[in-house]
Amino acid sequence: MDPKDQVISLLKEADLYQQQGLLNEAKERYKKATKILKANTGIKNGQELIASIVKKVVDLNQKINQINKATSKPTVSNKKQDLIKQLFAGAGEKDDASNRLEGAIALAKFGQFDRALEEFERLLDVEAVRVAAAKNIARCHLEVNALEDAASCFDRWVGDDRFTSAQLDKIRFFLKGRFNKLGFDRELYQREETVSDEDIQALEMEPAVTESSQDAGHVPLTNTQPAALEDMELPEEDEFLDINSVGIQLRSGSQKGRMIEFDVSFQTGNSINLIISSKESALLNELEKGTELKDMQFFSPIAILNGSGVVTAKTQIKSGPKEGDYSLDITILTT
Amino acid sequence: MATFNFKKREIECKIVYYGPGRCGKTTNLEYIFKTYKKQIAGEMVSIDTEGDRTLFFDFLPMGLGKIKGCDVKVQLYTVPGQVQYSSTRKLVLKEVDGLVFVADSLEVRREKNMLSLKDLHENLKSYGTSIFKVPLVMQYNKRDLEEEGIPLMPIEKMDHDLNRQLKAPYFSASAIKGQGVPQTITECLKLTLLNLQKQLKWAK
Repeated sequence: MDPKDQVISLLKEADLYQQQGLLNEAKERYKKATKILKANTGIKNGQELIASIVKKVVDLNQKINQINKATSKPTVSNKKQDLIKQLFAGAGEKDDASNRLEGAIALAKFGQFDRALEEFERLLDVEAVRVAAAKNIARCHLEVNALEDAASCFDRWVGDDRFTSAQLDKIRFFLKGRFNKLGFDRELYQREETVSDEDIQALEMEPAVTESSQDAGHVPLTNTQPAALEDMELPEEDEFLDINSVGIQLRSGSQKGRMIEFDVSFQTGNSINLIISSKESALLNELEKGTELKDMQFFSPIAILNGSGVVTAKTQIKSGPKEGDYSLDITILTT
Repeated sequence: MATFNFKKREIECKIVYYGPGRCGKTTNLEYIFKTYKKQIAGEMVSIDTEGDRTLFFDFLPMGLGKIKGCDVKVQLYTVPGQVQYSSTRKLVLKEVDGLVFVADSLEVRREKNMLSLKDLHENLKSYGTSIFKVPLVMQYNKRDLEEEGIPLMPIEKMDHDLNRQLKAPYFSASAIKGQGVPQTITECLKLTLLNLQKQLKWAK
């Protein structure tokens, strides 16, 4: 093809690619055209054409840089956040708190952290999802690298009567694990418990614990520990990932092979708890204490793992918003 | 995953338009929104950047009326095509019931098509499903650019690149002109609803 015709063809392509939003492809064509023009100085108005192409490439580079620099999850309007919450809250009938939790998680996954935090804060009032909401508040702060904010939230919860000590322990283990992974050395406060006469009698039989200086009601974690807590282990570095949800495969029946995903209500080390709706009768019939689950999937924020687990407890919930549903404890065997 | 309300005889399913950036996914939905007013059950929502690139997703709800005694509602989504929005693509793809893979017929986008299909395959795998098990239709878009003298891949080449193992139904299209768009969505809906009928045995 005649060099001039080649240039015309390349410029036409470049212009079209630019219209299509294919900026890198357009840039490539402009560069090829420039090369041909430089190699064929006899082409009429060649220098002017080159100058014009250079200007277009400069403009293209600016647009490309703009796109590349744009954050991948900017904050969107309230209306669009409402839509995200509604569309990605998960399928199936759940109680209101579960739906609200899933909606808030969806917001966080789409990077709408401020709105997600508002939603999670409201969910702290709901007993059934309080720990999950608290962990997700911490996750939101961790996601934006606000580790001190995550720790401050926990310190605030220590003095918050809504949280039981058991709930705080779960949240603390989660946070400590994350902080260890991130190399963030920050103590987390521990609630000073009100001790009954029976507790005093029981403690008198144990070795004395060291007293430490303290703010009112707050005691640094590492110094004084009631006897019961000394037996708990903090997550070691590189121990179990925080598991957000698990997939369990049906092994029999008309839907054999179907993978169903459940959110993890809470996790302690390699033990996770799920709430399974009473409507999932096919699955519930398969899950009894001692049942080994092969081909499980474990979904964490940074990886999806395949592995196996065993059902260690299955209890029907007798009261509250999830009455009739089942609480299932699973110990992860392999990942 | 489709939801089926036995009491109300209502079924709701999700179809996702997938493909590389700038291939015409949003244009497909815009055409459907403009053309099928009777079936559209709400507004088309686009969460996009200033102007034209899909940032999170496009969403279009449709109602197909009664089919075999059930009220069928469909949610159409598109995913963002740019590489940096990978995690968002995965979120939108969750619990999908039917797929349209929109491929760009421009020769220069050949590799992007294949990478996008691979991305789809891996995202489905991460949800424990397979691209071979989800109802899928291929659309080879931008065929109108042939008239402009722009190098396009022949349909046979695109089908060989993208579809030789999947063997999904495919349609040539020019989404900007509306050509091939109705055929694509109709076929995808047909395959999706057949699959759901099989899974849920809803007609019985």
